[in-house]
Amino acid sequence: MSLRKGIDRRRFLQGVGLSGTAIRVGLPALGAMFNTNGTAYGAETSRGTAPIETRFVTWFNGNGIIEKYWIPRDTGEAYEITPCLRPLARFRDDFHVISGVDNPGARVPGPGNGHHNSMSGLVSGLGFTGRGAGGASVDQAIAQQLGKESRFRSLQIGVCQESFGESIQRNMSWAGRDRPLPPEMIPHRLFDRLFGSKEEYWIDRKKSILDAVSDDAKKLKSDLDHNDQLRLDEYLTSVRSLERSVASLPPEYSQVVEQPAEGGDLKDWPRIAKLQSDLLVHALASRQTRVASYMLTKCQGLSRFPWLGYTNDRHHGYTHGEVETPKGQRIMRDINRWHVEEFAYLLAKLKATPEGAGTLLDHTCVLFQHEHAEANPHKNNGLAMIVAGHVGSLKTGRHTKVTGTVGDLYMTLAEEVVGAKIGGFPSADKKLTEIV
Amino acid sequence: MVRKLVSRTLLTAAALALGTTAWGQTTEAFFASELYPLLHRTQCNLCHNDNGVAGRTAFQFPEDDATAEQIAAFGLEMIELIDRDDVLRSRLLLKPTQRIEHTGGERIKPGSVEEQTLLTWIRYLANLDEAQVQTARERIRRASTHQQQALSIRRLTHSQYNNTLRDLLGDQTRPADSFPKEDFVHGFKNAAEAQGIPPLLAEAYSAAAERAARGAFRGGDHQGLVSCKPAGATDAACAETFVRQFGAKAFRRPLNTQEVGVYSGLLREEGARLNDFLDGAQIVVEAMLQSPNFLFRTEHGPGSEFGQFETASRLSYFLWDTMPSAELRAAAEAGKLGTAGEIDTVAQGMLKDPRARTSMDEFLAQWLRFDRALTATRERRLFGTFNPELAAAMTEETRQLFGYLVWEGRDFREFFSADYTFPSSALAELYAMRQPPEEYAKVPYPADSGRAGVLGQGTILTLTSSPSDTSPTGRGLFVREHFLCQQVPPPPPGVNTTLPMVTESKPLTNRQRLEIHLNSAPCKSCHMLIDPIGVGFEQYDAIGRNRDQLTLTFQKEGEDDDEKKKPVEVKIDLDTSAHVQGIENSDFKTPKELGKILANDPTCQRCVVKQLFRYAMGREEKAADQPAIDAMLARFQSTGFQFRELMIALVKSEPFMGGGLE
Repeated sequence: MSLRKGIDRRRFLQGVGLSGTAIRVGLPALGAMFNTNGTAYGAETSRGTAPIETRFVTWFNGNGIIEKYWIPRDTGEAYEITPCLRPLARFRDDFHVISGVDNPGARVPGPGNGHHNSMSGLVSGLGFTGRGAGGASVDQAIAQQLGKESRFRSLQIGVCQESFGESIQRNMSWAGRDRPLPPEMIPHRLFDRLFGSKEEYWIDRKKSILDAVSDDAKKLKSDLDHNDQLRLDEYLTSVRSLERSVASLPPEYSQVVEQPAEGGDLKDWPRIAKLQSDLLVHALASRQTRVASYMLTKCQGLSRFPWLGYTNDRHHGYTHGEVETPKGQRIMRDINRWHVEEFAYLLAKLKATPEGAGTLLDHTCVLFQHEHAEANPHKNNGLAMIVAGHVGSLKTGRHTKVTGTVGDLYMTLAEEVVGAKIGGFPSADKKLTEIV
Repeated sequence: MVRKLVSRTLLTAAALALGTTAWGQTTEAFFASELYPLLHRTQCNLCHNDNGVAGRTAFQFPEDDATAEQIAAFGLEMIELIDRDDVLRSRLLLKPTQRIEHTGGERIKPGSVEEQTLLTWIRYLANLDEAQVQTARERIRRASTHQQQALSIRRLTHSQYNNTLRDLLGDQTRPADSFPKEDFVHGFKNAAEAQGIPPLLAEAYSAAAERAARGAFRGGDHQGLVSCKPAGATDAACAETFVRQFGAKAFRRPLNTQEVGVYSGLLREEGARLNDFLDGAQIVVEAMLQSPNFLFRTEHGPGSEFGQFETASRLSYFLWDTMPSAELRAAAEAGKLGTAGEIDTVAQGMLKDPRARTSMDEFLAQWLRFDRALTATRERRLFGTFNPELAAAMTEETRQLFGYLVWEGRDFREFFSADYTFPSSALAELYAMRQPPEEYAKVPYPADSGRAGVLGQGTILTLTSSPSDTSPTGRGLFVREHFLCQQVPPPPPGVNTTLPMVTESKPLTNRQRLEIHLNSAPCKSCHMLIDPIGVGFEQYDAIGRNRDQLTLTFQKEGEDDDEKKKPVEVKIDLDTSAHVQGIENSDFKTPKELGKILANDPTCQRCVVKQLFRYAMGREEKAADQPAIDAMLARFQSTGFQFRELMIALVKSEPFMGGGLE
């Protein structure tokens, strides 16, 4: 072996952020979010006195709900909290329950079972194409406006993998028609993406490789036909985002977040859900992205619920089968309450993270949704959702039954709440003024 | 947004005007603007296409991407379905309104506005004079000639990525196993149209390339990738040699001068920085593994500069699921992959290689959705013997049957009708049949067994069931989609899909519970196509065990759920009389009898050809592919259903070769 100049090889190996080379400890307490001076991330951004940026998160779980245990009976501020929403009781002033949302995209005639169509309509406002969503999903429309400056234009995070395996069921974020953006499901890999250490030498090396790769792609593209060009374009775009994620680490990027353990039960969904929520909060707080989607369970999901004591069937089975019996209804209630518990965990973390004069929840709009309202009949009108956070003019602490579509809601949230001028969205034709 | 709605209304108005003259007379444009969309709304197109349940009727929709002229011709074609003397007796009217028997049920209500639209068009067609009818027929003929679809670029599948890294770098780590999972589209995971590279996958490629390149040179050049002896860290000649040699393997074609320049420049720069030639070689490997020239198989067609190299890759990735061997590359270099005879010889040789078996195993696993069996769960109380090992044994048994038929040159129809199987000892016990002399050895089914071929195996019986019971609907649907290549439309939105509850006082078999489907109009039109197939499997439970009777278990519910009381068991007899709607004389009572029906059914035989075609081409077949598929089917039949002959016929076909061979 020849002598090496410049860099010590062992150091280089450690620096590339491979899983398993770092210390294996659980996630840190939120204290790790503070720098050594004890001030929070947001308190000393490189942007000086500029206002703190807003974030937008879509949060999904599959298979719909059991309406009678989920949707509050009364509207307004004095509504009585329902059994499924009970885990959110202590955040009552931090969110808005919105019911009555229509999903017309689910009813566009064409291929797909009740879930495929509803999922496409929910995320994109458009009908299912036979293989994917009909268009870009709402988080991507918003990322188009908000994500330009961030290290990651958007993040996709997932938890439970159990599903029927089709594209429309496994993905909630879509870059465009039939272009899924798969979520990262494994905590230690998500950690690597966000916080894996990057040394200057490694960064330079990566950049020169990616330059060569982009050159190849551009040359190849020029002599392909139209459709193939589009597919190569997608790769080029991905290579550019990779370049950006390598090259533009935010000033707040730091090593203080410890790596989640690699081992453990990777099918223990409540555990994974919390690890992924922690990393999501860290990613938002350290300004690596402003837009994220979080998929707790898959569309038409097949999760098992050993921790709830329900092992006879899987989620989708429980939404049909014996769901109309008293026992079946209780099972659905408990499953839906678990979803809300995980959502409440995220809100708690956001609220416990100081930022500027307030908390991260003051600058994050989180939209919680399902592909259906009542699960058993695949109901695609009257959807119930939760919008949390104190961003823009969003009203909180109430339940509103609206008359409008998913597109109407997205337009309202994008333009009136998070401040992304998306200009329109499929299925939208008005803003829901009653929620802001 | 309001403006958008208004303009849509205006558009409709404009379209209406297009379909009628100022005097209110219907014109030809009426079809495209009014009736054609209407027939999509009523979902007629979902069954009336080559992969639909009504694929063999006289009424076939053009493909989704049909041209205006093809749509117009489709409208005119309906002239064959009308009664020009008495329009009200036209089949085109009587069928969808179900005034006469229509498998798809009532799609258009008698007396509705929709019916008026249909009638308007029928009247238009009836009023055409002879000369106009002749012109219409000529246009139909012209519109039905389709253009052969060009080959398109395809990304390496995860399985191909793993195998290619193994053959290129000796890397056995299968890094793609941890990439974002590939989704199933149109039944397979390799559909070209679905092969995007989102940022997450690009990152995974980047990290895998970094690791693989480091592994290849860890402790020196132990894979012998650098054939020259570098005079120093930046030896230009050796750099070029390495880039040319490695590049030709990685890109599966010779590199051009410009590419050699870029990559050897990269090598020398890095070599200089770390003062080691191998560090330079390593960065070249890392970069090439992320190049689209590596990740995508590009296609410029047979006549192009690297046409034969592309052919080598196409053969290799289909028949071996990995990169071309040195011999294949040499054959391309020498121009020996140009004629049908040459392809035949090369392909026959490739089929003798063990890699061919691996590749077909991958096809089988996707076609039959092994993943659904391998990830199945079962209620422990009822199916205590079921576990992941048993599921793996099931798929291995199916693989053995398939492998035996394909590689021992058997009649492939035995896939459905074989009176033998290849069980492990655990499976033999599960099926209550005699133990195999060794694991997965060939054993005949008992003479009185209702099992045959793949239909009697645990794989299919399990993957179509739910955790607590069988699903005749799931089983019927599986037969339709996977063995007849027929898509069954989904339930209409908003329909309550709950089946009647089974109680101790009212015990019901699945057949009895499913009768609700056949008694309700919106359910019946589709469920009559699937449930009556599935009930013929009912003597096998959700993990494939025999059951003479159905055992229903009722848990007595107390005030408190935790308070477990002794469950009550009720046994009821099963009626497994079944049939396949659309196939003549298809009554059956066991999977064995169904196996015979499928084995001899031309739709099923054609479906096997279609499935292999979809896997090989990474896309669904189109109208233009039908002649090639017919030819493959003819070859399959005339060779006594030799699967290997089907594979050879496929690689020599026009769609696979991107044009005719010499």
